[in-house]
Amino acid sequence: MPQCIVVTSGKGGVGKTTTSANLGCGLALAGYRVAMIDGDIGLRNLDLILGLENRIVYDLVQVIEGECKLKQALIRDKRVEGLYLLPAAQTRDKNAVKPDDMKRLIGELKETFDFVIVDCPAGIEQGFKNSIVGADRAIIVTTPEVSAIRDADRIVGLVEAHELPEPELIINRYRGGMVARGDMMNKDDILEILAIPLIGMVPDHEDVIISANKGQPAVFDEASVVGAAYRRITQRVLGEDVPMPNFDRQDEIGFLATMKRWMGLAAREAV
Amino acid sequence: MSLFDRIERLMGAQPKSKNDAKQRLKLVLLHDQCDISPKRLEEMREEIVAVMQKYVEIDREAIDFKLHKENGKIALVSTVGVNRVNSRQVA
Ligand SMILES: Nc1ncnc2c1ncn2[C@@H]1O[C@H](COP(=O)(O)OP(=O)(O)OP(=O)(O)O)[C@@H](O)[C@H]1O
Ligand SMILES: [Mg+2]
Repeated sequence: MPQCIVVTSGKGGVGKTTTSANLGCGLALAGYRVAMIDGDIGLRNLDLILGLENRIVYDLVQVIEGECKLKQALIRDKRVEGLYLLPAAQTRDKNAVKPDDMKRLIGELKETFDFVIVDCPAGIEQGFKNSIVGADRAIIVTTPEVSAIRDADRIVGLVEAHELPEPELIINRYRGGMVARGDMMNKDDILEILAIPLIGMVPDHEDVIISANKGQPAVFDEASVVGAAYRRITQRVLGEDVPMPNFDRQDEIGFLATMKRWMGLAAREAV
Repeated sequence: MSLFDRIERLMGAQPKSKNDAKQRLKLVLLHDQCDISPKRLEEMREEIVAVMQKYVEIDREAIDFKLHKENGKIALVSTVGVNRVNSRQVA
């Protein structure tokens, strides 16, 4: 059964686009036909993260307004078989699209694709409503910070109000060293508060920036820990039971670590 | 406390900030979920206490009034201390 998954968060900048790109590519690598939709009209970025920015001819708003066919606007990603992007319009605003338009569009995509991934914009306004209306399933991305978690909780309520199944959680930018020290909420603290199933954890890691620089999602990189995290997430999205590795860094606590930190010697990029 | 712990404290180790985060989040989410601010809750408390005072003498030092979540359900839980009238009469 074809499925539309919306990747949302409430708060901006927590990793929705990174997650949409990696999940979309991950599912295509697993052999599925995938269409990714950039729902962030006016502030498109999914094209850039995927390295497809130079290939855009038409966009989502033009499809909805009948200026072109859906097929013409879909950009084929040459790295994997069956992977396509429907870019957002950059010079229009989100009110150019109505929930009913999105619903129709996603319905049409589900006739040819196994998965439709919608990269939702931040906030809970029109762009959120457009992104969630055609979804069968929601993934909420948060970071271990109070503001992101508070917003995620709001989204949990809104997802339930849209009569979608219980949303699943990705905890992004996890810093095992800070968690071990007690300066960051750990996985269980966050799950106790949000009370939804966890579908993945992604460490805070420079690979995210490097892969964005290249326009090549980390999931393609066999050696990347971020890529590995997204490969596991992909498997879980497909219903496989994949154990969650422990990201907590006990070596970051105790006398020696404190001593190092105190002297400014601790590795800065330590997760 | 071990020697290392002692040195750590001397070096300015803070109490774990994640506990603050968790506690503050839990409270703010309860208020978000009921759509009532702590300020409004306080106003409600004052009004309820005023009504109760028509019937019994309230011990203002012994009022506990807060939102509480258990098994996903939110409840308003309150304990209101009442002064014993006979003890006052004796005094
Ligand atoms: N795991 C991570 N480690 C390090 N940096 C990260 C990680 N995840 C995201 N980032 C960085 O955070 C920033 C925001 O990421 P991203 O664009 O995916 O978020 P978003 O939720 O889509 O943002 P917006 O709400 O603006 O659409 C980017 O600069 C990205 O490089
Ligand atoms: Mg984004």
